[in-house]
Amino acid sequence: MGWNQEKIMSVLPHRKPFLFLDEVIEIEGTQKIVAVKNIAEEEDYFRGHFPGNPIMPGVLITEAMAQASIILYSVAKPVIAGSHPNYYLGKIRSEFFSPVYPGDKLIMEATKVKFSDFAGITDVITKVNDVIVAKANIVFSVRNNE
Amino acid sequence: MNNSIGDEIREMVSKILEVPVEKLTPDVDFFRDLNVDSLKAIEIVAAFEKKYRIIVPEDDIPKIRNLGQLIEYTKNVTS
Repeated sequence: MGWNQEKIMSVLPHRKPFLFLDEVIEIEGTQKIVAVKNIAEEEDYFRGHFPGNPIMPGVLITEAMAQASIILYSVAKPVIAGSHPNYYLGKIRSEFFSPVYPGDKLIMEATKVKFSDFAGITDVITKVNDVIVAKANIVFSVRNNE
Repeated sequence: MNNSIGDEIREMVSKILEVPVEKLTPDVDFFRDLNVDSLKAIEIVAAFEKKYRIIVPEDDIPKIRNLGQLIEYTKNVTS
């Protein structure tokens, strides 16, 4: 069973215009989730990236993959996620293969590598129309929000 | 545990922590002496799991505080 954006926002502190997940369409236990972001033509960043040639910035694709990773972490660690900790990116190894344009539908498959109460590592593959456009290995920390 | 596996682990930890192999003596404390934080700790564990195809239970992670303990842990789980 998937998640709508309301449920996503119950985990992620991010809000528009910095919320980069529309829905979670698949959850495989605590090992993998699949999330979707529809790239609208009116996304604000397209005004500057680039005028007349809109392309989604790679850093924002990375951010979307990181947000998908947090959702997966919350599925695996519901008690910790329920305390609404802060999530901090630690290290990212990413590759980008194709540009992402307005109208594209990003499908992000986040897979658990290792989770602890204080940190997580995920592998994320992002596709558009079944073609891989980006990959990332993401290391993040989880700290109490105090 | 033979030396080659001990050396493998030492080299792996050295790369992740970006600390020269010479500084990784068996009893140097990861957390106190090398400022290993939760991010580095989980990177070491993930690399270790991948290399030796084992799962390190989360409760075991804080118990491994130095290279000697990591090598000893490997000895126990792979024997």
